[in-house]
Amino acid sequence: MAETLTRTATIRPWVTEKILMGLPPRAYARSLVTPGNAIVALILLVGLPIIVCRFVFGLASVTNLSQTTPWGLWIGLDVLCGVALAAGGYVLASTVYLFGLKHYYPVLRPAILTGFLGYLFVVIGLMADLGQPWRISYPVIRSYGVTSVMFLVGWHVILYLTVQFLEFCPAVFEWLGCSRVRRWAASLTIGATVFGVILSTLHQSALGALFLLAPTKLHPLWYSPFVPVFFFISSIAGGLSMVIVESAVSHRIFRNQVDPEQHVDLDRITLGLGQAASVVLFTYFFLKLLGLADGNRWDLLATPLGAWFLVEVLGFVLLPCFLFAHAVRRRNARLARAAAVVSVAGIVLNRLNVSIVAFNWNVAERYVPSWMEIVVSITIITIGVQTFRWIVNRMPVLREHPDYAGTH
Amino acid sequence: MMPHDLHAMYSAKAIEYLIAVAFLLLFVPFWSLLNGGPAARRVKVAKRALVPRLVEWFNVPENVYYHPGHAWARVEPDGYVRVGMDDFARKLVGPLAGLRLPAPGTRVEQSEPGWALLADDRAIDMLSPVDGIVVETNAEAFRSDRPPDPYGRDWLLKIKPEKLIANLKTLIVNGTERRWMELNADTLRLRLSPNLGLLYQDGGAPVDGLARTIDPENWDELAREYFLTSEE
Repeated sequence: MAETLTRTATIRPWVTEKILMGLPPRAYARSLVTPGNAIVALILLVGLPIIVCRFVFGLASVTNLSQTTPWGLWIGLDVLCGVALAAGGYVLASTVYLFGLKHYYPVLRPAILTGFLGYLFVVIGLMADLGQPWRISYPVIRSYGVTSVMFLVGWHVILYLTVQFLEFCPAVFEWLGCSRVRRWAASLTIGATVFGVILSTLHQSALGALFLLAPTKLHPLWYSPFVPVFFFISSIAGGLSMVIVESAVSHRIFRNQVDPEQHVDLDRITLGLGQAASVVLFTYFFLKLLGLADGNRWDLLATPLGAWFLVEVLGFVLLPCFLFAHAVRRRNARLARAAAVVSVAGIVLNRLNVSIVAFNWNVAERYVPSWMEIVVSITIITIGVQTFRWIVNRMPVLREHPDYAGTH
Repeated sequence: MMPHDLHAMYSAKAIEYLIAVAFLLLFVPFWSLLNGGPAARRVKVAKRALVPRLVEWFNVPENVYYHPGHAWARVEPDGYVRVGMDDFARKLVGPLAGLRLPAPGTRVEQSEPGWALLADDRAIDMLSPVDGIVVETNAEAFRSDRPPDPYGRDWLLKIKPEKLIANLKTLIVNGTERRWMELNADTLRLRLSPNLGLLYQDGGAPVDGLARTIDPENWDELAREYFLTSEE
């Protein structure tokens, strides 16, 4: 009895400090009552029952998917966009740990966390699409199916998720106060980064390679034997742009987390990332042109889908490329952030075009996602954002833990 | 394969090669576009207050571009360039009666007379360290009622540069300014020693208006010699 009391007495302050952010339970519960949280609650209230419905009654009960269109919004938005925009994790980890550009360190942890959560919620979105999550062991262990690109994607995601968790582990152990384990986790960082870069290169392109299986289904302007390369290169630009957007938003929303004494020159970091994104987008634009020349279907540019293709390539690749360049020339970080928003929108547009708009373009039956599919996607993204918020408010992500300052 | 298919394939390949070549050719101007800017990125931009550094008798702070005619230039974060005369020039000439500064909008050229120092009814031209348009002048520079601050509040012109990268390449920076100033001090010491033999050995600071001390009659010619505006 006495032992139980002692344990309760030890656990309670720990919970208060680590979970309730130092507030007594009632005060913490009261702090949760905000307009933002009310919107989140509303989304969850509508979205979670739909997800349950999908698992109980099957895809047909909530989606407009069919035998002709088996991949819809969940694959297009949650998986393809999620993976591309989570690329900031491997891009920034290589920048800091492999290229030694240490002044990007202040945005590294948020980028790795965004990457990790991005992938985690990609898996959740994929589970919603695939169903029967308990059978995940089949492609992983029981029945490899090594001839399928899906096998590649599945294993890459599992391994990369593990690697990103390892990369983020030092922050978790700093939060928990386990300095010995933290030291061990930090020693794995370089190895994890190298492994992570290899995996990302492979699986970002593997997602594009999925569309090599459907050369007749994908519109010729989007289909190219270079699709895997397009996916990989655009993920670098997407990752860089996402880090710019995410760091700007985080530094504004979590202002209390950013230590003013750290003197983080976010504008300088933003312009550096913007410069890299500009070069990547410039290269990506010419690769898209090469794909177009290789397909040799210039005539299709005069069709409505051709115009849409031009909107994507000119408005969301070339335009942000020059916006970034102009921002860097003028040292205008605000313009670089605007360019990053356009660039992120461009990546989303490209993935949705490839997986939905230009897919099955020649089939009479057009897929339009149902409202429930949209709500499920919003619900998954909302849970992802809330998880990010929960972690940033507690763990040393935007700030340095005082005990480990300068140890990176 | 049909002959027309072959033709189509070759033309497609030709276009691909042209695109690849176009990429390589366009990447060069794109790269310079990305890096050119207001030249603030490839040059030392003045962000913080200068830390005084004494070389011989003169303050020669780092991160300042020096012109051999004893003018200095600092690139501001907004891309404009602030210019002035260095501590050597100020100590050489001593107290000024006034300055003849160009009006805003005037175009100045590197190594051409940019402004003049007025003292004892004489005007001594100094050379501009950069090319550009004068956007602002400092009418308050070197006021007699306050101690001189040649790299700070006593700047002379703010210039919108025109050929900054090319201009900065010809200026003295990155540690060489130290040796340059030592050489200047050496030549000055040689001129001084007949009159002020023990000054250097004493470690004392020179008086304001060294040129007047060396040659009270033609001190302005001596100053012009150092400012590279001598007519000979």
